[in-house]
Amino acid sequence: MAEKVCLQPCLGLRKEAVLGRQALYVVHEDLLPEETVLGCGPALNANVQEDVDFINLYPVLSVEACELDCAAKLVKKKGRSAARTVRITDLVRELNIDFSALPEEDIAADDPAVQAVARRIAEHVGELLAG
Amino acid sequence: MDERDFRVAVLGCNGIGRLVSTIVRLAGYQIRRRRPDQVVLLSSGRLAVKEPEHVEALRRYPVLVIDGCRPHCASFLCDELGKRPAARLYVADIAAEKRISVAGEKRRGLTAKGMKLVDAVAERAVEEIDRIVADEMLSTL
Repeated sequence: MAEKVCLQPCLGLRKEAVLGRQALYVVHEDLLPEETVLGCGPALNANVQEDVDFINLYPVLSVEACELDCAAKLVKKKGRSAARTVRITDLVRELNIDFSALPEEDIAADDPAVQAVARRIAEHVGELLAG
Repeated sequence: MDERDFRVAVLGCNGIGRLVSTIVRLAGYQIRRRRPDQVVLLSSGRLAVKEPEHVEALRRYPVLVIDGCRPHCASFLCDELGKRPAARLYVADIAAEKRISVAGEKRRGLTAKGMKLVDAVAERAVEEIDRIVADEMLSTL
């Protein structure tokens, strides 16, 4: 059974990416601080040791903003595969989030949409930890 | 892309791990608002996996790199793709020069204190963009 899960977001600039980014802060800092590590894409690409260790030591949950799946592709570029991929666009639909009502560039971490996405991602983490 | 089109590509690290990641990302949006017809914001995530549209923009336009923290990941990415930046900014340099402290700020949401550094980074970036655009114009007249 895995000890932790590496959360690897796409880190794009579109609204879906901002929603995912904020949700992952909530997952990592509030909901599952002991069970998750937060992988930084540019740092992983630049071979920063901590981020390379994260994907080598833990199963990776890639959190994507769109169908390009850049986070999962980056993990693959570094020789590993994401254990699971979730797309924010799918979660928005699944959770009935009024996406058009969210601001474009900065969404507060306590926004109900961020909290709902965070809780759903935390469930994915729980499933990965359970194996 | 239009052959006559000239823009400056802005490549911020847009990471997630540190406070400066948030500062760089928000500065990017502010730069785009201030120079909407002169910049294209690049996503480090897309470039890292060589998404063709982003790679084309990187190759086509002069690039302003904004590095957030010490590994200089945006510079690494630019180097990896064989592009020499037209200019580079490092957030710590701007914080030191403007004597802006962001102690106590959180990466998940900035207060006015953190936004002061965002503003300073965007201001410096706009100066660089204006210089790059002027250089291009004067070189082609």
